[in-house]
Amino acid sequence: MITLPEQLEKLSKQENLIAQGAESLVYSAQHPYLPQQECIVKYRPKKPYRLPELDAQLSKHRTLAEARVLQKLALGDVEVPHLVFIDAKNGLIYMEKIEGLSVKQWIWNEEGDTEGGAQEAGDKSRSLPDGDVSSLKDTLVLVGQEIGKLHKSDIVHGDLTTSNVMLRDGKPVIIDFGLASVSTLAEDKAVDLYVMERAVLSTHPVHSQQYCDWLFEGYLAVVGKSQKEVMRKLEDVRQRGRKRSMLG
Amino acid sequence: MTTYLSLGLEGSANKLGVGVIKHTVTDANAENGFSTDILSNIRDTYITPPGEGFLPRDTARHHRNWVVRIIKRALDEAKISDPTKLHCISFTQGPGMGAPLQSVVIAARTIAQMWGVPLVGVNHCVGHIEMGRTITGATNPVVLYVSGGNTQVIAYSKQRYRIFGETLDIAVGNCLDRFARVLKIPNAPSPGYNIEQLAKKGKKYVPLPYTVKGMDLSMSGVLQFVESLAKRFQAGDLVVDGHQVTAEDLCFSLQETLFAMLVEITERAMAHVNSQQVLIVGGVGCNERLQEMMGIMARDRNGSVYATDERFCIDNGIMIAHAGLLAWRQGFETKMEKTQCTQRFRTDEVLVDWRV
Ligand SMILES: Nc1ncnc2c1ncn2[C@@H]1O[C@H](COP(=O)(O)OP(=O)(O)OP(=O)(O)O)[C@@H](O)[C@H]1O
Ligand SMILES: [Mg+2]
Repeated sequence: MITLPEQLEKLSKQENLIAQGAESLVYSAQHPYLPQQECIVKYRPKKPYRLPELDAQLSKHRTLAEARVLQKLALGDVEVPHLVFIDAKNGLIYMEKIEGLSVKQWIWNEEGDTEGGAQEAGDKSRSLPDGDVSSLKDTLVLVGQEIGKLHKSDIVHGDLTTSNVMLRDGKPVIIDFGLASVSTLAEDKAVDLYVMERAVLSTHPVHSQQYCDWLFEGYLAVVGKSQKEVMRKLEDVRQRGRKRSMLG
Repeated sequence: MTTYLSLGLEGSANKLGVGVIKHTVTDANAENGFSTDILSNIRDTYITPPGEGFLPRDTARHHRNWVVRIIKRALDEAKISDPTKLHCISFTQGPGMGAPLQSVVIAARTIAQMWGVPLVGVNHCVGHIEMGRTITGATNPVVLYVSGGNTQVIAYSKQRYRIFGETLDIAVGNCLDRFARVLKIPNAPSPGYNIEQLAKKGKKYVPLPYTVKGMDLSMSGVLQFVESLAKRFQAGDLVVDGHQVTAEDLCFSLQETLFAMLVEITERAMAHVNSQQVLIVGGVGCNERLQEMMGIMARDRNGSVYATDERFCIDNGIMIAHAGLLAWRQGFETKMEKTQCTQRFRTDEVLVDWRV
């Protein structure tokens, strides 16, 4: 097995860097036991902007939370990367590499808008590109189902955005479980959905309503008996958002 | 070269501000084809005694008492002897506190009719963003808007300022102000400023609840917890890890926790929209520790942070004058019958047609 310091050093090579997320650097790496298999390493570097004691506590907590949740989900039917190995002390998680685009990038491509910011005079909703409606719909319904399965397993994700769902051969795989936790509470699941809804609204503004409808269609189809309670709480959370005082 | 003049009135919270701005257009077809001159920027703040917040009715009375004098000073300083030459009167239409907003819009309607100048209703948050962009030169930043009433992470796309993240409960300024009240920290010049000064002397970090949800955050839990610590401190029995905790330590710990959350959600939004610029606006944005933390984060992403000083961070009339003039130059006007204010007015409701 590759020793860690050596691995860390190898990791830091720029050409292995495949993504800089919000709080992590993601490198492609060799599988620690099966050298021929490719995997990725997610590394949470120190965040020098915050106090070292706060930083250490957050990084450790999130690395462990992510690994625990991935391990728990490995037994179920939610599509997530396989957990390969965790080195909590160094803040490293090895996991299966998912080949494909994020749902965010895929939607932007489908909409023919690579930057996510093309102009649109008057902000009028243009119609969805004809041929792609069914693939957009099918995909987002599948994403909704995956989120439904996640909640059915009593996991809340904590950062549901279209960046954090990837598409492998057209099938969604949920990633990035650093803010995830185990919860049976309808309130927690409702906040999870609220965060998702708002992320769709801001990231894909022109057709956000349609996209959310499809996501919920998928979600409700699988989530089962807890759905009434979750949807009622979601309405509460939305109301709170609308009524939130803007006063000083 | 054409020049345009706008007078702006702001009074959505406890600051009353009036400013006059001039745009000199050099290329009417380019988004940035104009220069900006601040002719005047006058402010008067309603200060309450330590331990007390400002109530809508008293704040409205303060604004009514001062608005005529402040308008006159703003015109004098701008050397505008004939106000009928103004191209528009811009006023804050919301969001904010109802009564203070209303007392200022009455002044706006009055002078608009006296001088025969059109009115332009401005979204307060958009005012902050546009002023911040102009002063700092940040072209397309992720914006962290932090004030007494608002906490939002915003990015521009498709002619609107889209809200990517925001507080799920209270605003960061509100959290700081309420904490200041428990410890009877003075409200002049602002509770946040005084907390910042105390925090500089804090040493011991007391762990506080830390709650982010994706690009959103929650602060009511932190407030509740730190308020209970403050009460224990006042009762004289706050010892953590064998260390006698001081008021300075509490200010320090609160700032470090809140600001770490703010920087984290801002970073998440930057990663999400692939941006490398961040602009901080709103009253809490004057805080130098927040600016420093944001700067370190941005540097690690090979980006940069943009911030302004208290003249523009803290609520002011000039930003309203500026944002109003941008809209007016696109042909926008708020007819008299449409000038009523609204306490809730979301940033993404405004069509930002002066940007491409
Ligand atoms: N298993 C994986 N396979 C392939 N690519 C991955 C995988 N995990 C992460 N990535 C890539 O790395 C990026 C960042 O990863 P991730 O979302 O897990 O971290 P993060 O966004 O930094 O974390 P957080 O949102 O908690 O701050 C992803 O957007 C994706 O492009
Ligand atoms: Mg992510």
